Amino acid sequence: MSDAPDSGGIGDMAGPVLRGGEIAQAVIEAVHTDNPDKEIVISDHTTYVRVEAEGGCIIRRDTMEEVLGRPFRMPELEVNLTAFSGQIETNDDYTRFYLKKDRV
Amino acid sequence: MALLERSEWYDLARTTNWTPKYATEDELYPADMSDPYGISTEEWETFDEPYKVTFREYVAVQREKDTGAYSVKTALQHSDYYDVADPAYLSMLKMHYGAIALSEYAACQPDARTARFSKAPGMRNMGLFAFLDEMRHGQIQLWFPHALVRKDRQFDWAHEAQHSNNWAVLSGRHLMDDVMMTRDVPTCAIMLSFAFETGLTNVQLVGLSEDAAKVGDHTFSNLITSIQSDEARHAQIGTPVIEIMVRNGKKAEAQQALDIAFWRVWRVFAILTGVPMDYQFPLEKRAMSFKEYMHEFVITQFQRQILDVGLDRPWYWDHFLDDVENHHHCQQCGIWSWRQTVWWNPTAGVGPREREWLEEKYPGWNASFGTYWDVVIDNILNGRDELAWGDSMTAVCNMCQIPISHRPGPEWRARAHQLDYEGRRYSFCTPVCKWIFGTDPVRYKDHHSIVDRMYSGEIEPPTFDNILKYMGCGEVSEGGRDAHDYAWIEAYRTQPQAAE
Repeated sequence: MSDAPDSGGIGDMAGPVLRGGEIAQAVIEAVHTDNPDKEIVISDHTTYVRVEAEGGCIIRRDTMEEVLGRPFRMPELEVNLTAFSGQIETNDDYTRFYLKKDRV
Repeated sequence: MALLERSEWYDLARTTNWTPKYATEDELYPADMSDPYGISTEEWETFDEPYKVTFREYVAVQREKDTGAYSVKTALQHSDYYDVADPAYLSMLKMHYGAIALSEYAACQPDARTARFSKAPGMRNMGLFAFLDEMRHGQIQLWFPHALVRKDRQFDWAHEAQHSNNWAVLSGRHLMDDVMMTRDVPTCAIMLSFAFETGLTNVQLVGLSEDAAKVGDHTFSNLITSIQSDEARHAQIGTPVIEIMVRNGKKAEAQQALDIAFWRVWRVFAILTGVPMDYQFPLEKRAMSFKEYMHEFVITQFQRQILDVGLDRPWYWDHFLDDVENHHHCQQCGIWSWRQTVWWNPTAGVGPREREWLEEKYPGWNASFGTYWDVVIDNILNGRDELAWGDSMTAVCNMCQIPISHRPGPEWRARAHQLDYEGRRYSFCTPVCKWIFGTDPVRYKDHHSIVDRMYSGEIEPPTFDNILKYMGCGEVSEGGRDAHDYAWIEAYRTQPQAAE
């Protein structure tokens, strides 16, 4: 697929890139709960945290509420969601990051 | 009060297309604004925005974002950060605000056009929010530098730059005019939302914020990630458009729009982002090199998205990867040497330790770009300051408007790629810029580069002083000088050959 120099192995990781802080920490906790069968890769930089899993991952509102200990509406994620890899699906109960294509 | 969940009413509220009685469909949605590709309204109505937001949510979330950004500014406004910041860092801020603030404001126009002329109701909603986003970005990025104008007149370029004919502005304006100001709604969705905002703004706004936080400028760091959280949402206008076009047999057209815009944005953003990251930030505060950010956010993350929406990598991908190693280094040489033509004070950024870092990140740097700086250093050390300034204009590309150059040293490959059209010769920096011109010569042929303007009589007489004046240097503020007044050269007096 990727035959150009330096572009091999782009993989199929997808997930949010968040501003560091309370919400990012909650997402990191929630994403492990909500995607139990996946290996979650966290890259923690100074101002952003990249959270990714192969093929994508889901973050559920219930889990976020449990982790934060307060009501949480999924659109609140936007304040800290500076970027993401893959595509996004937004819903009342969850936000999902995914790739459609199976490109192994 | 119990509110209905969004999903219980969203689809109904979004269904706002109607059957016009007093005008025809074509009058309501003219092809050259709404859809030159002839895709049916029913197909456009399948547009399902992946990143949904309602007006109530939009207002609440944006209020929170603004409160965050303005409170950080207020909390830190009495700190003396900007009085003690490294001049090279301030140069990055001046570059950023001059190039970005009013460009964001201009982006209100294509977004408003989307809100009015898209045949897809969901896309019209997203266009409206994007319009409001860009209004915020224009205002906040004028307000923040405004506080700095009294400390340093060059910050006035935050507002003045886009009203000037500075060469760097001509380049940015030609890009913006092409990809967002003069395109129909679906093409603009691919060029602006997908290629520009999904593809390349991350490196500027997330990557640069990382470096800004490391040098302690939390006001700016927080500001630009706040902006990028808007971009991450409204950039999603592009994805469903591409999928609808691909499904309706218009993949080639969508691909061409991506290929044109991605290259054009890359050429400008490599300077705006690559030069600060690899030259302006203090060495010990650099999180990653520009190339490493490009690999994380573009070459990996964006490439995945390109393939996932059903398009291919741009045809010039190998050329692009080569440009990632070269383009911003070339422009750094030019910007520093022609520093009186810009509105910030360029830093050389090539002390012995910096050169070690550059060599590590870009193997071969010393044997190529290093040879350029060896001459500069030798001239300054030997009191030949007059040779350390450019005082004539260089050839610029008739597409990207950026000086034509390439890696110096044994591999020297700089050449003008020329094309004759209707009796005039156009020069381009690369085969890609030449290809873009060829996709629609009528669109591009009448634009005059800064060099064309010297010959056309628009800059009369075309002396270097007049050119500077024409570009606003010495008018809005003084043009640039070395950010550290050559202090960096001292390291070479004690170890003159260290770099070789």
